[in-house]
Amino acid sequence: MNSWNFLSILIALMIFLPIFLIIYNFNIESDNWVHIRENLLGKYIFSTLCIVLGVSVLSTIIGVGSAWYVTCHDFRGRKTLEWILILPMTIPTYIAAYAYYDILELLNPFFNWFRINIGINETMMVESFLIYLIVIILFSFVLYPYVYLSVRASLLLSGNRLIESAITLGLPSNKIFKKLILPSTKPAIIAGLSLVIMETLNDYAAVEYFGISTLTIGIFRSWFGMYDMASALKLSSYLILFVFSILITEKIIRGKERYNNINGSQNTFSKIPVKNKKIFLVFILCFTPFIFGFLIPFVRLLTWLLYSSFNFEDMNIVQISFNTIFISLIASLSIVCIAFTINFVKNYFNNRIVRKISELAILGYSIPGAIIAIGILKLNSHINTSFNILIIGSVFGLVFAYGVRFLAVAWQPIQSSMKKQCASINHASRVLSASSTTSLFKINLPILRKPLLIAALIVFIDVAKELPLTLILRPFNFDTLATYTYDLINQAQFFQSSLPSLLIIAISFPAIYFINRTTRNEL
Amino acid sequence: MNKKHFKNLVVLQFFFSFLIGELNIYTHRHYESDKILFKSFTNRTGIKINVIKGSADQLIQRLKSEGKDSPADVLISVDAGRLVRAKNLGLLQPVFSDVLDQNVPQSMRDSENYWFGLSVRARVIVYAKDRVEEKELSTYEDLADPKWKGRLVIRSSNNIYNQSLLASIIEHNGKRKATKWARSVKRNMARKPRGNDRDQARAVANGVADLAVINTYYLGLLANSPKKEDREVASKLKVFFPNQDNRGTHINVSGAGLTASSKNKKEAIMFLEYLTKLENQKIFAESNFEYPLEYQNADSEIFLEWGSFKADKLDLSILGKNNLEAVKIFDIVGWE
Repeated sequence: MNSWNFLSILIALMIFLPIFLIIYNFNIESDNWVHIRENLLGKYIFSTLCIVLGVSVLSTIIGVGSAWYVTCHDFRGRKTLEWILILPMTIPTYIAAYAYYDILELLNPFFNWFRINIGINETMMVESFLIYLIVIILFSFVLYPYVYLSVRASLLLSGNRLIESAITLGLPSNKIFKKLILPSTKPAIIAGLSLVIMETLNDYAAVEYFGISTLTIGIFRSWFGMYDMASALKLSSYLILFVFSILITEKIIRGKERYNNINGSQNTFSKIPVKNKKIFLVFILCFTPFIFGFLIPFVRLLTWLLYSSFNFEDMNIVQISFNTIFISLIASLSIVCIAFTINFVKNYFNNRIVRKISELAILGYSIPGAIIAIGILKLNSHINTSFNILIIGSVFGLVFAYGVRFLAVAWQPIQSSMKKQCASINHASRVLSASSTTSLFKINLPILRKPLLIAALIVFIDVAKELPLTLILRPFNFDTLATYTYDLINQAQFFQSSLPSLLIIAISFPAIYFINRTTRNEL
Repeated sequence: MNKKHFKNLVVLQFFFSFLIGELNIYTHRHYESDKILFKSFTNRTGIKINVIKGSADQLIQRLKSEGKDSPADVLISVDAGRLVRAKNLGLLQPVFSDVLDQNVPQSMRDSENYWFGLSVRARVIVYAKDRVEEKELSTYEDLADPKWKGRLVIRSSNNIYNQSLLASIIEHNGKRKATKWARSVKRNMARKPRGNDRDQARAVANGVADLAVINTYYLGLLANSPKKEDREVASKLKVFFPNQDNRGTHINVSGAGLTASSKNKKEAIMFLEYLTKLENQKIFAESNFEYPLEYQNADSEIFLEWGSFKADKLDLSILGKNNLEAVKIFDIVGWE
């Protein structure tokens, strides 16, 4: 084994270790487990499945639909839509939930009427149904950009020739979509969707507020309410198992269907013209996700800002913004470096152990942040007893935690681009016995410049939004915009919380802009 | 004080900070009042305070993982149950201080001095003035009566305040009766539990229900909110202190303990004493509308409006002890 392989295995193992410390409890029988299994497990699994299924369907429809129109059609306003459709990504689910927190209050007169005239139990049923619906819609409208981005990238890469030939053959637009686009973008849809599902499972604040008992809620109830960490970790393993099966499915589907890239000629992407009558409809269709996923929460925050009275005397908001940018930059750079290096080693040397272990290392994304925190705390206490060092409480500890959680985010785009664009070159350079360092820096790095940039930007946004890990693992007196927002919301200072919320959006803004430009330039 | 003096003082303070030391605090409390008090403590003593805010359960986990090397000196929680838990995990150490003994009533501190209450929170019934007569209300037990069917809202049982309330009912009435109570209350709910205590108050004001069980300070916050709608909500509601004719209203404390690993013991004890001083109690408790430890003598306007009350004298450690049982009962009766 050479040093490249060794280094990759070491890093991947380090990242997997906290996850291992969580799943390794799978078989521990705790006293309360029987109680949980009999009274709660079914309910947890049912509501988790409902939410995940609903969000999957809706975010796929929104993501794929908007990507298809914006990328493959020609109409006025297309270019603007193209990038504002990514914007909902800047809004963390917990902030979206608070921006919509009183939506149910609006329905109160209806519920009151229903309660008096139809009956309490019926009202509760209707209300429950509506709550599920609202949560599903809420999640879908802020998470669909993951599907949108991935499908759009895939369409830009290979949709061109498909559409050109289809138009030549005189196929109507809806047939092109059904027969050509949908099947050819399937891997991209699933890749984006798996990120959506993992983000959904990670949420605690929104489902807690709306009173839905998902598995994630169950984990915290066992931990906080029963003081039973073993059961909490066991429930977490269920969650990991669930995600693992999704990832396996994705792999099977990707593995079975191989796609050749038919790269179209540069810059001349044929687009389907949209007839005048339909333009309005298409525009509305693509504008709606932007309205619900971004505009409404954003405007809401802006109006709150008008009411807020900020005491600029203690200018710690500047310090907090700086902290957020600083930690997000460091985290995104280190995470992308690691994802790039391991992927390269995997691709270049084709070592089986590296491949397997790296698959385990990206599991962290599926686990709620607060549970990852437990894994890290456990690791911390092992390291502390053996080496007398504390890894948490430092910036390093926090960045390491982000690595465990967000490696998968950088992983997906880098892996798929490297497979597509570098696999054969790497093979050739090995045959020609070019050194691995040369291949890494002279060939892979320049070719993958854009996917690397995109990966770094997405991780940057994710870290800037991250809440639970930061909350529990941060150093003394260290606040990020996310923790500060949370703090204010906790005190019901909605007005005051608008400034840090808007700043999260503001610092993600340039990232979104670059993501859009980079994706478009890939033509 | 002129500029030069001030500068000297800062230099002096910086120089002595090595001798005076710092104080590291893990706290679940996230209120403005705490910020004010931390600052005034630093100004008075020169001891710098470093803070990590988070949920008590997670902070306890962090303390545990850091072991004897933990930098934390003080753990602050918003309920007694978590402090009991920290004590049982060996994360706290006893403090012997005459000042604390004098300032903190016996029922509001650990019997072995491992933790001390800092402020009092009463869990009460609020009702819609126009739909409920005060004489219809009596006890927590009465909330199980069928006459309240479809008229009651209360938050989810994931919340520690409800868990503590049921833990106290288990202690007073026994497990069997407590289960029956939880089942009947669930049956009386006007809607499935969701939102926080503030949302329950809103629901009563908006006619969704006639009663809600909430902590008093939420009503104080609503009444003093910058939002007009919030103040309107508060104006439609009235506070009722249950069980005045028997054991008294259920209370809990926000409290603190000295960590077992503390390296700044002297400063930490000074800090705890500081927070329990009468004048600081006023800030600590009242700016957040919680009751001070001497809740009987609380004299700010809103407390007078709510009226005086008798509190349950139950040893608060019991709440921690019965917490698991309470959660299980909630699960069994399906109170989400």
